[in-house]
Amino acid sequence: MYPEKLEKHLLRVQKPGRYTGGELNSVVKDRDSVDISYAFCFPDTYEIGMSHLGMKIIYSLVNSRDDARCERVFAPDVDMEEILRSENIPLYALESGDAVKDFDIIGFTMQYELSYTNVLNMLDLSGLPVRSADRKGLTPLVIAGGTCVCNFEPMADFVDLTLLGDGEEVTMELIDLLKEYKKKGAGKEEFLKAAAQIPGVYVPSLYEVEYKEDGTIAAVTAKDGAPGKAVKRNVADLDKMFSPETFVVPFLETVFDRTTVEIFRGCIRGCRFCQAGFLSRPLREKSPAEVERECRAICDSTGYDEISLCSLSTSDYKGLETLLRSMLPWANENKINIALPSLRVDNFPQELMEQLTSVRRSGLTFAPEAGTQRLRDVINKNITEKEVLSTCAQAFSGGWTAVKLYFMIGLPTETPEDVEGIANLAQAVVDEFYHNENKPKGKSVNVSISVASFVPKPFTPFQWEAQDRPDTLIEKQNLLMQCVKSRKITVSRHVPHTSFLEGVFARGDRRLCDVVEYAWKNGCKFDSWEEHLKLDVWMQSFEKFGIDPFFYTARKRDFDEILPWDHLDFGVTKAFLKRENERAHEGLTTPPCREKCSACGAAKLNGGVCNELCKAVV
Amino acid sequence: MNSVRLWYKKSGLAVYTSHLDMNRCFTRAVRRAGIPLWYTEGFNPHPYLTFLLPLPLGTAGEREPLDIRTVEDISADEIKKRLNAVLPEGLEIVDVTEARDKANEIVSAAYEITACFESGEEAEKFAGAVTGIIGTGALEAEKRSKRGIKTVNLCEFILSFKAKADGNAAVIHTALLTGTQQNLNAGLLEETLEKAAEMSPETLTIVRKEIYKENNELFA
Ligand code: SF4
Repeated sequence: MYPEKLEKHLLRVQKPGRYTGGELNSVVKDRDSVDISYAFCFPDTYEIGMSHLGMKIIYSLVNSRDDARCERVFAPDVDMEEILRSENIPLYALESGDAVKDFDIIGFTMQYELSYTNVLNMLDLSGLPVRSADRKGLTPLVIAGGTCVCNFEPMADFVDLTLLGDGEEVTMELIDLLKEYKKKGAGKEEFLKAAAQIPGVYVPSLYEVEYKEDGTIAAVTAKDGAPGKAVKRNVADLDKMFSPETFVVPFLETVFDRTTVEIFRGCIRGCRFCQAGFLSRPLREKSPAEVERECRAICDSTGYDEISLCSLSTSDYKGLETLLRSMLPWANENKINIALPSLRVDNFPQELMEQLTSVRRSGLTFAPEAGTQRLRDVINKNITEKEVLSTCAQAFSGGWTAVKLYFMIGLPTETPEDVEGIANLAQAVVDEFYHNENKPKGKSVNVSISVASFVPKPFTPFQWEAQDRPDTLIEKQNLLMQCVKSRKITVSRHVPHTSFLEGVFARGDRRLCDVVEYAWKNGCKFDSWEEHLKLDVWMQSFEKFGIDPFFYTARKRDFDEILPWDHLDFGVTKAFLKRENERAHEGLTTPPCREKCSACGAAKLNGGVCNELCKAVV
Repeated sequence: MNSVRLWYKKSGLAVYTSHLDMNRCFTRAVRRAGIPLWYTEGFNPHPYLTFLLPLPLGTAGEREPLDIRTVEDISADEIKKRLNAVLPEGLEIVDVTEARDKANEIVSAAYEITACFESGEEAEKFAGAVTGIIGTGALEAEKRSKRGIKTVNLCEFILSFKAKADGNAAVIHTALLTGTQQNLNAGLLEETLEKAAEMSPETLTIVRKEIYKENNELFA
């Protein structure tokens, strides 16, 4: 429900359904009936946020407690922001319409770096000071979780604490602690000190950072009893973990109009560019029976007709065949599509494939990521040209005519030949089509390649690497365009400026807090939206504080440099990442965990037991 | 296969749901209710579900027709009961009938527009002003149609019009040409009246009350 004052403006904004609440399955509790109110904030628009699985889990989890309530908050679009500001309506939560500033916990989920300014904007729209030090009371406590908090130093001055790793258990413990401290009338500092003792909680203000003259970090010191390293939380048994049986069903069309059910966390692949893969190690699978139970429950309660089985690499799910054989008859009978993102179609039973309507509809996609085998070995992406072509051949015989290929440019050790290789691989797919005797008659092929710019990320073997400057990336994009000869190939590329900013914040340190605040004050928000990105304002902001942004992106780090995120522990060890970096430069691949354990260090999070192949590794 | 006409009421927060979103919303509700829908054949099968007279964003409806096709014979009462158990707030099935009249028989509809002001005087003033404006028989506005935007005289679409003040509210009862041939959106009429009267209400609700065929016969 929205504040009454908003009523007469609702029909004057785009998509008013974003701001009304009242959706099916939303949980409305009375403020006075609970001890802790939690405002879950997604720092982007409703349509994007409502597609996010993490929010759905935490929402149901917190609302499952009698003593707490969880409500949703999204970033208002520009037209709505104008109204909120001119009418003096503080940002409100969708369920009750209560002002966000009156909640006990304001939790942001941070999925991408370019949403940082939106966090400040949402705090400001709530009528709160953006800096943690200026919010004196115990509540509202401003916290953050999600991928970006593996290095949230550029936002360290704004949040009170972050939650590292899996949020399910630590959120509950934090609520318990806050409830206790609220009751005894404790202050914020006292609470933060105690919270820092919960595994998975990181309190930035309890760490002092000193810098060397060259701008690198001299030392990070924990104080007031905070652990030397804040360790991420890891839910060991996903079957026993809380999982929601119902989701809020938006009236509006959202980015993904379907339900999502997680099948496993972690990844056995070890692609060296992939941050999510390393951050979420070790691998933990849900049992097929549990997955099916959740799918049925959620479809029953929401009425969705599409389920996306979500993980980092669907094909690695051991129970996939069992699950599909058991679930497909139900799905087909009820006209429910099962989407299997990133499914590798080689080795996948043909008859199961035929029953998967969604695969038939969406066409073939591959993510070779690099254009040559040499570079694919460097990044440890184990997909060969032969596999791509033979799968395409199979698909063309089956009537397919469209293929999508995903690549990155700007990868470490990349040469012009590697860029050319992207065009060559796409051309090879086109040729494969024309040489195929069973190709669909009278049709032509369409190969679309999507080229992203590589951004080195913390907790990956490439965390020390230099990121290509925007002009270099543009040169490489142009080279690629010249190499594409066939009109059957379409190329989509991205503006390198967003990757540049993303790169600054991905590996940035605390000195960037001032820059983020200044850029936001000067109008930066929704930076991930090309039409909103104000690069000139960002550049002025860096300059104002004497910061060279390329110090964070274009500089190759020494292995012994203290990195801004070194005092966090996500399982994988620096020694392992270094080993992997060296192997990358030697062009050596590393086998997936199921073939051979590489002792990455993540097993310790699971009590030393990782999966059946590495029980002994601690 | 059975054709069934659902009559639903749209009010409250549901008013902010666009027509496309209504479609999705009802499809899911029917699925949740466990009413087996008939699916179209072909490459991309979809459930048969047709809104006879889509409501514009912002307009509520008292009794709006929606046709579905089911594969099983389910009683009208059962359909109503099951759907009302699963529909979100603001949407309610008020009746379930057979699909008698055809959509192209619709010619007009009755609307109630309630504009609330800060004082009774303002409401009086607004009611008086709009009555005067409609009385002149000329009220021009830009109207979007399939053939583009053109300026039309809205009065040509108005079959009846009565405005009076009731406390702080000005209440307008009006019948407008509605349907596939000629159609005037009540929201557009109200907006144009606001501009012409140079007044802007605090809150506004627009409700479609009834739908008619030729000769003011109720559409059924
Ligand atoms: S401990 Fe071994 S098996 Fe487990 S994630 Fe690390 S490398 Fe893979």
